[in-house]
Amino acid sequence: MNNSVDKNKNQIDLPVVKSESKPSHWRSLDEYNNTSTDNQLKVKANEFAEGAENFDIGSKSKVSRRKFMALMSASSAMVMASCTDYRDKGEIVPYSVKPEEVIPGIANYYASTITSDGSGQGILVKAREGRPILIEGNPQHPISKGKLDSNGIARILDMYDPSRLQKPRKTQGSKLVDSDWKVIDKEIIQSLNSASSSGKEIAIFTGKIVSPTYAKLIEDFKVKYPTTKVYSYELFNDNNKQIAWKKSTGGINYPLIDLDKAAVILSIDSDFLGTDGNVNENIRQFTTNRDFENPTSYSRFYQVEGSYTLTGSNSDYRLRLTPENYLDVVASLVNHFASKQGKPTMSGFKSLESLAKENKWKHEAASKLLSDLESNRGKAIVIGGKQLPVDLHVAINYLNDLIGASELYRKSESNFNAVSLSSDDEIATLANNVKSGNVGVLINIDINPSYHLPYHFTADNLKKVKTVVSLSEFENETSNNSNYVLGINHDIESWGDAKIRTGVISTQQPVIAPLYDTRQREAILLNWMNGGENYSEDIYHKYLQSNWETNIYPSLNRTVPFKEFWFATLHDGVTTFNETSIVSTEVNSSSVSGIKPTNKSNYSVILQENYFIRDGRYAGNGFLQESAHPITKITWDNCAMISPATAKELNVEIGDMIEVALNGKAIDLPVLIQPGMAEKVIAVDLGYGRTNSGAIGNGVGFDVTPFMTSKGLSKWIYTGAKVKPTGNKYELIATQEHHALDDEFLITEVRKNAEGEVTGGGETFARARSIIQETTVANYIKNPKILKEHEHEVFSITKDFEYNNMKWAMSIDMNKCIGCNACSIACYVENNIPVVGKEEVGVGREMGWIRIDRYYEGSPEDPIMSNQPMLCQHCDNAPCENVCPVVATTHSKDGLNQMVYNRCVGTRYCGNNCPYKVRRFNFYDFRDNLANGHYKTESTKIMMNPEVTIRARGVMEKCTFCVQRISQARQNAKEDGRTLKGSDVTTACQDACPANAIEFGNANDKDSRVAMMREHNLGYHVLDYLNVKPNVTYLAKLRNSDSLGVKSEHH
Amino acid sequence: MSTIDYTKNEVNVKGNRSLKEIDDLIIAPLDRIPNMKFFIAIGFTSTMLLIGTIGIALSFYYGTGLWGNNNPVGWALPIVNFVFWVGIGHAGTLISAILFLLRQRWRNGIARFAEAMTIFAVITALIFPIIHTGRPWIAAVYLLPYPNQHDIWVNFNSPLLWDVFAVSTYFTVSLVFWYVGLIPDFAVLRDRATGKIKKVIYSIFSLGWRFSNRHWQHYEMTYLILAGLATPLVLSVHTIVSFDFAVSILPGWHTTIFPPYFVAGAIFSGFAMVQNSLIVIRKVFDMDDLIPIKTLETMNKIILLTGTMVGYAYSMEFFIAWYSGSQPEYFTFVNRAFGPYAWAYWTMFSCNVFIPQLFWIKKIRTSIVPMFIIAIFVNVGMWFERFVIVITSLSRDYLPSSWAYYRPTMTDFAILIGSFGLFFTCVLLFTRFLPSIAIAEIKAVSEGAQPSHHEGEDHE
Repeated sequence: MNNSVDKNKNQIDLPVVKSESKPSHWRSLDEYNNTSTDNQLKVKANEFAEGAENFDIGSKSKVSRRKFMALMSASSAMVMASCTDYRDKGEIVPYSVKPEEVIPGIANYYASTITSDGSGQGILVKAREGRPILIEGNPQHPISKGKLDSNGIARILDMYDPSRLQKPRKTQGSKLVDSDWKVIDKEIIQSLNSASSSGKEIAIFTGKIVSPTYAKLIEDFKVKYPTTKVYSYELFNDNNKQIAWKKSTGGINYPLIDLDKAAVILSIDSDFLGTDGNVNENIRQFTTNRDFENPTSYSRFYQVEGSYTLTGSNSDYRLRLTPENYLDVVASLVNHFASKQGKPTMSGFKSLESLAKENKWKHEAASKLLSDLESNRGKAIVIGGKQLPVDLHVAINYLNDLIGASELYRKSESNFNAVSLSSDDEIATLANNVKSGNVGVLINIDINPSYHLPYHFTADNLKKVKTVVSLSEFENETSNNSNYVLGINHDIESWGDAKIRTGVISTQQPVIAPLYDTRQREAILLNWMNGGENYSEDIYHKYLQSNWETNIYPSLNRTVPFKEFWFATLHDGVTTFNETSIVSTEVNSSSVSGIKPTNKSNYSVILQENYFIRDGRYAGNGFLQESAHPITKITWDNCAMISPATAKELNVEIGDMIEVALNGKAIDLPVLIQPGMAEKVIAVDLGYGRTNSGAIGNGVGFDVTPFMTSKGLSKWIYTGAKVKPTGNKYELIATQEHHALDDEFLITEVRKNAEGEVTGGGETFARARSIIQETTVANYIKNPKILKEHEHEVFSITKDFEYNNMKWAMSIDMNKCIGCNACSIACYVENNIPVVGKEEVGVGREMGWIRIDRYYEGSPEDPIMSNQPMLCQHCDNAPCENVCPVVATTHSKDGLNQMVYNRCVGTRYCGNNCPYKVRRFNFYDFRDNLANGHYKTESTKIMMNPEVTIRARGVMEKCTFCVQRISQARQNAKEDGRTLKGSDVTTACQDACPANAIEFGNANDKDSRVAMMREHNLGYHVLDYLNVKPNVTYLAKLRNSDSLGVKSEHH
Repeated sequence: MSTIDYTKNEVNVKGNRSLKEIDDLIIAPLDRIPNMKFFIAIGFTSTMLLIGTIGIALSFYYGTGLWGNNNPVGWALPIVNFVFWVGIGHAGTLISAILFLLRQRWRNGIARFAEAMTIFAVITALIFPIIHTGRPWIAAVYLLPYPNQHDIWVNFNSPLLWDVFAVSTYFTVSLVFWYVGLIPDFAVLRDRATGKIKKVIYSIFSLGWRFSNRHWQHYEMTYLILAGLATPLVLSVHTIVSFDFAVSILPGWHTTIFPPYFVAGAIFSGFAMVQNSLIVIRKVFDMDDLIPIKTLETMNKIILLTGTMVGYAYSMEFFIAWYSGSQPEYFTFVNRAFGPYAWAYWTMFSCNVFIPQLFWIKKIRTSIVPMFIIAIFVNVGMWFERFVIVITSLSRDYLPSSWAYYRPTMTDFAILIGSFGLFFTCVLLFTRFLPSIAIAEIKAVSEGAQPSHHEGEDHE
């Protein structure tokens, strides 16, 4: 080899003068002679650096040490003036005894179940070094199939919330003070004993019970304390649907529907994609037939509604209608089909045509609905919202029978109730017993009667009960009226099981020991039954296991021994078995006789379930409070949604307060003008206006539960409200500006004909700027290239970087995306995104990395709505990158637009230059800024995903395509000795999406779905004409209607 | 009406004072103990400065969240103020360098003062790029290309970095230019100084100036060279400041007309500010003769010219927005004029385009009160111009979903007030510690200084 020869030569011919300049100090002759070869230099460089083979001295800076010192001293003088404290805080100590299964840096997953909210969703809890950091859906669960609703995802925050009850508390005087379990147990057992011996009622008042073992425990409790009665209540329930089904068929459970087999869906104000039924399952099934690859079997969906719901926004024809007229729609359809089939009709109702005319539906909508229902016998279904009155459900059941919808009923499975919800009468009985002093002990378990039933459970009434015990995770309104307030465990600190369907039981196991001095609700009851002396952490665990062994396991006919079965089930989180369910589908046609039309008087009020706060139980959860309402985009508030025409009639604007008077109660509410609402309808979300919900939830929004009486069409729908403006103002905060559909959004004016029907015009910004691209199913089938016809070629004058190996890319199928916001909340949890609070959202500083943009098209009275998840597009020619003066945002060679937080000085230039406005700036240390540092406590710190940097104040941040997951996958691939594939990585938003609208992967892998979608005829890039070359492809939405909005799509 | 004799040069300095009288007049404010008015004035401006300092201190402590900046509007008042002050800083060098090269002798009376204002305006401006960042304590370091073992370099593609160089170069050259011009005056001060400390200080700064012929020769040459160096900088600074906007892809920012339009605007506002300040100075220090109306009138003519150029730019922007056929571009300009910030746009337009047109009328451009008021309007208008450019473009860009209205906060205003406080405090101190008018230069244009055929006979 040359090297060795040279070397030998040097050794022999000493000294050889080769170089012109000689060093004054030298360490070897090679150095003196300056003859060392590259290799030798490398060896020297590597002398002390172990494993630094790639170190290249040639690439180092040429600045001399002296010069460096000069510059350094100048700059350090500057730094001195602003020296800051960067000392390491705390120490990192290795495990002295390594826990089983825990490998530092590697996440563990545990299957469990959410039982607290009665949803029984199967979950998978991700834990790092023993700390749960993320809750996802359990992929093995047959119902949720790996998906989880927003509340479930956000539940992780409740776990670490500093305002959780950390000790059992009891009243002393008029105040609640921390106490001790021993003392409290003793006192309560005494009260229980005295109540049961004096014959007074012991009332267990609880939310929905989904756990068979819990149900059994309560039965056992009843045996121990015979005067016990159990009441179970949910603010939102399907009792009416249940009662109606019994009326129609005599069966107990209404059937489950195979939405994925439905070609035509007519929903009568059912928010089945948002709050009604098993939402994740509904979304999955509904979007199955919204498949752009299969346009000929694209379903058509009609929504009749008075409010504007998430479900309505996804309809092909949205038929706005005041709730009093829902029955007319159903009746006229019934009459159409019944008269043909010679069956009983319903008389006295308006016809579909007159409704269509009155409400200015699209001219073809009514006739299309009729013909669709007619021609899709057995493939069409009518769904009624759970909040509708019984009569309406009876009529819907009859209609479904007439159109042959029973073919879509699931025969093999049905809903299962471990304990049925109490009827309104039963709740009234309890209230009376409380009032009359017949109740000795009232045990509220995870329920908030003082808030949900304010007219029944007032402070005065509850005082008549000797002992009021409240078991809850957080203090609530009822806590103030309780003698004992006992903190209970979070779902992921608890044992349990859940059965919400026949043939499926899921198990719940704790992932972490209770953070505080709390117990799980079942264990508290069990302890009282056992006399309260020998409490141990695992009493309910043992009870659960023995119940499974003696009662559940034998009925499953398993061949494996119980222990094995038990551990396997715990591992999977769910077990399925054959269970026959009897669903009676014979509808009694006489059930509709006697149903009378309802008359509208004054204003109608719809009390609806909020998508995030639900019945108010999640009011203390910052993630959920900050989530923008899918329709109104309002955060941290509820409001009175009214139509533009109604607003004109009342002479109010957005943010004006109106007084709504209903059944003798008057409540002031802020107005939100919502395009597309039915006239003279006011829709308000329940669950707001909590007064004892911690620093986050207190005083957010307005409480409208006092409206809930028995005098409405149902508990959630009322007519005859009187409304007047109060002249006051209120600031409603939304993540999008309010000027919802005024002229500012329109390029051409909406044209109308003499009848007020919209005929054309109304071209929107979203369309003109190529933000939203849509077409109809029919047009797409006719011409698959319809959206590509007007495409212009955009070219670069510079040479583009070539991505030869990986190129990460995402695609979002707008046909599937329903705009539910689950992606956004999952992103908050995965990426340690701070909650900023109402004031900061108000000045436009919300931090979400993925948001759902909302655009309207058409007339303000009746627009169509388009959703668009918007996140960092990881542009090839990213405009943010070249403007950063300190190179804090760069591009990786696998196509990621990266943020270097440490380098960022916060000029915000990148944010300005981002056409998608997806960059988020830390104007404050937001965790510290919100509610006196509510989310900057010891407990919330350990919730943080350790793989994601917590961003400092003054730093820009944005979507990273979950780069931590990419790194993890790359590491795993390297370890396994294989090449990284696009499918190895899923992003947090992708995992959370209940409709599987998001695909992520390698754009260079031509076989991947992402690559296919990038090339697809419907695929487009938002603002493609800017030539920034975004890497998020949107699949244009197909609408199964005759036209889009008001504009024909040929420009 | 008097007729003007165009065959004669109009006098630039009136009063026919002797050289000593000129010295006395200019140096008088430095020698006497200032009166109450001065203390009230400086008390006022330093209170403003204090308010600004508190605003900045609070922003450092709590974060930039104290300002109105929001998500689409990442840049707001601090950047508006920055561009405004850099603009103010344009007149000085333009007057002292470009007009010097063009042999505009009327500039001699105002050059010193205008240059001082440049220095102070640029100092004021330079505060903003640093404080407006999220982490100023790091920005001050990371924005400089210093060698480090991470091999991290600054991004030379970024206009913000060009800005750092452009403004700091401009500042350095202006400062040197100003100082060189001051040397002969320092010598005068040294010679007149009675106190020991004063003498030492003036001696040091006068660099041993002895008014020798050689000195003058070198001085003139140096001054000429520096004027030559400073001239392109006058044009380059605001050109590069305009690149901060023009290089981006934001509609309303991404405009090729920006460099000339910004430079014209900067001269426009700079002249207005100099004119305003001079009117006060000549009144307070009885320097009406040294800065005659004629000088002010000439400045007003330049204000009229640049104001019209700015007006042309405004109109051209609209034309191009329409002509481009780009919907976002077109909308941005319509939105400026008729959107939620229309009030700011029309304030800008009236102050900058309509009101200066009054200078066509000789009576207005030669009377002190109207010209003073008009120049104030120009300054207000030019501040709003930057406001309109920065904020309206950001608040409504490509995606309507992200649009948001921007409102400045109390802290924003505190810092704006503070910037005026800093500027005027510096100006006030300057009038007390340095000669506001270049003594040597004014002598050169005073009556009798010029060579003449008739031994000065043609002067009345």
